[in-house]
Amino acid sequence: MSEHSMIEARPLPDITDVAAPFWEATRRHELVVQYCAACNTAQFPPEVSCTECGAPDLTWRPVSGRARLYSWTVAHPPLLPYFAARAPWPVVAVELEEGPRMVSRLIDVPIDDYAFDLPLEVAFEDIDEEISLVVFKRAGG
Amino acid sequence: MSSIAGRTAIAGIGTTEFARHIGRGEELTALEAIRAALEDAGLGTGDVDGIFQVEGQKGEPWDVAQRLGVERLRAFSTVGGGGGAACGPVVWAAVAVATGMCEVAIAYRARHRGSMQRPWAGSPARVTGRRAFELPHGLVAPAQQIALTARRYLHESGAPEDCFARVAVVQRDHASRNSRAVFRDPITIDDVLSSRMIAEPLHLLECCPETDGACAVVVTSVERARDLQQPPAVIAGVAQASTKRHSLMTNLHAPDPFEWPAKSAARDLYGMAGLGPQDVDVALLYDMFTPVVLYGLESYGFCKRGEAGHFVAAGSIDGANAKLPLNTHGGNMSEGFLHGFNHVLEGVRQIRGSSTSQVASVDVALVGAAPVVPTSSFLLTK
Ligand SMILES: [Zn+2]
Repeated sequence: MSEHSMIEARPLPDITDVAAPFWEATRRHELVVQYCAACNTAQFPPEVSCTECGAPDLTWRPVSGRARLYSWTVAHPPLLPYFAARAPWPVVAVELEEGPRMVSRLIDVPIDDYAFDLPLEVAFEDIDEEISLVVFKRAGG
Repeated sequence: MSSIAGRTAIAGIGTTEFARHIGRGEELTALEAIRAALEDAGLGTGDVDGIFQVEGQKGEPWDVAQRLGVERLRAFSTVGGGGGAACGPVVWAAVAVATGMCEVAIAYRARHRGSMQRPWAGSPARVTGRRAFELPHGLVAPAQQIALTARRYLHESGAPEDCFARVAVVQRDHASRNSRAVFRDPITIDDVLSSRMIAEPLHLLECCPETDGACAVVVTSVERARDLQQPPAVIAGVAQASTKRHSLMTNLHAPDPFEWPAKSAARDLYGMAGLGPQDVDVALLYDMFTPVVLYGLESYGFCKRGEAGHFVAAGSIDGANAKLPLNTHGGNMSEGFLHGFNHVLEGVRQIRGSSTSQVASVDVALVGAAPVVPTSSFLLTK
């Protein structure tokens, strides 16, 4: 890795752990979460058992991709080099229609248009051959 | 079942100076603070038989015991939870003393972060666990994690935007009278709001600094403490809490992110002590960022959900004669960032009547660790 790309390195997820099926799905541009076989709770982030009822059996199912903007911040330097080079850096929390909340980013929404409960839909940011991150865009946009 | 309520007390407190760069190691400052606490109590290193510490510092409890020349270390533990563990060593010291595992326990925290790179300043090649869903999006530092939901808090509560800034101003005013404090120059709300933006809506002066230093206390039985040279600060109730579907700092995966672990701790704490928020004369609440203080006020029942911003804006925490005097040492933000262990010492000073911002007639002091992570807290009485 060149010195330049070292400095610019973005933190990326380990896609081999309990969340592997999540990352396999995002690679296909599909958003999936875990559902509990016992209580049917939709669960994110991925875990080894249901954190609502403790049952061990979980299945991965696609969700609608529809969400609302729950909250956001805009990070200012000092930041990790990758983000500093692109600062100020907005980060959002969204609430999926199915319930779980996720940390993410909005594409194609100017910061001045951010509003609580803004309707959103899922999109995907391809990082490399293996990793696609879940991002969101304005619903119907 | 017998409770430990009121059976143990803090008999001595000790601290090093707090500084950006203290110029000697955590191993040394830990011993300095412990020796100072023992001296304050009128005890010696030969009396110690229990050691309880917060995670994330150099030296295990048994290392510290050896360095003090302790003959038999009979109880020890390292409490996890980061800033949520600020009260944990006192909690477990009280349990160990009350149950007879040991007689004189040290609880301490040495923390030299002023001299260190922040742990989140570098990032691993691949992020594992829950953080794998945060770091790639640029949610890296605790300030950003707290800021992310702080905006939602303002939206839901309708509290004025400057309610966070007011916390920093009030704490700095207290620090201006405290010679231990790293930051003593009084500040205004305008100063806070015009300081550099860190993570919107949080400005630089709403974040605690990184500092070096160490704090320690001596916990023993109430009977023994009453024979020692300082008035005892009786441990009336203790609690630890983590809650269902909690996630560190954001609590984003709980049904209501603003139902923090500290709310669960409060229930047990008050229940054990037979006291309620209306009995508390002064609160020492964890404050690595200003919104966290508001979450502490709500979690410990001083305000209802969504009311703390209005409570602060109305002047209810302003000064030592406030409706609820708060962080009278200056807190993590102005006295120094001892990960909340400095709040433990200030709770004792308030009970003794020796604070530099002394509240008139203190019968009950509450000390609460970071409410936004797996947490701990205790109540002190005379
Ligand atoms: Zn379940």
